[in-house]
Amino acid sequence: MKPGTENLSAQESLDLITDMIREAKGNIQQNAFHFLLWGWVVVSANLGMYTLAKIGYPRPYIVWLITIPAWIISFYVGYKRGKASRRRTHFDQISMWLWICFGVCIFTLIGFGYKLNHQLNPLIVTISVIPTFTSGLIIRFRPLMFGGVALWIFGIIGFLTPHALQPLVGATGIVCGYLIPGYMLQNRKA
Amino acid sequence: MFKDLDPLLHSQLRLAVMSLLISVESAEFTFLKEKTNSTAGNLSVQLDKLSEAGYINVEKSFKGKKPLTTCKVTKKGIKAFEEYVNTLKQYINK
Repeated sequence: MKPGTENLSAQESLDLITDMIREAKGNIQQNAFHFLLWGWVVVSANLGMYTLAKIGYPRPYIVWLITIPAWIISFYVGYKRGKASRRRTHFDQISMWLWICFGVCIFTLIGFGYKLNHQLNPLIVTISVIPTFTSGLIIRFRPLMFGGVALWIFGIIGFLTPHALQPLVGATGIVCGYLIPGYMLQNRKA
Repeated sequence: MFKDLDPLLHSQLRLAVMSLLISVESAEFTFLKEKTNSTAGNLSVQLDKLSEAGYINVEKSFKGKKPLTTCKVTKKGIKAFEEYVNTLKQYINK
């Protein structure tokens, strides 16, 4: 861009504004990492819990401890990418705080799970609709919005399913809500 | 009667910078330089002009040992940009 090019026409100015706004958009494929990480972690935890319960292990929920390293990895990757990125968009900010709020709510639910008779699986699946659907809306990626709707449906199915089978419903919900949209997002052309 | 376009924004590089900054929370100097395809010297001069007008905030810090310049649009800058776009619309719709 050369200096002193002041005599822009109205149309040229408008075209320039549109081009620059398009340039400023983030690389939305990067978001796929978190959906794939959490998708695989939660599916594995659900299937692990179901299997441990099936073989009669007294504390099948112990498998959920695998989410601790996932939290650490997720925060570390988010922090590194944030530092490496040379610009920060409003949507990045909204997305980040949306998922942090979701995480805080999940911790709260886990803490008070005993008050809810440990019926957490369908509840967490249902709550995860909010950040998933909203993220899809923010990055204008429809499969993620459908993923949010799928989580809502599987949340309802979970509430109607016996406790022992809820991890299987949860795992299926996460495959539809996180993993399928996550892979579609990863493979989307920029 | 059409309003005059803000001369500070009606310049290719300054308008490009403002359009980029209006779309993000904040942006580094290197990002603006790359996206506007400008030279460091020219960009620096134009950023100073926008900063003096109060349209942007320029913050200088360090990223490790390297100096880091981060720019952010101000409320005054947003207002000026909106007025510029509205005036532009009048010209296009005439």
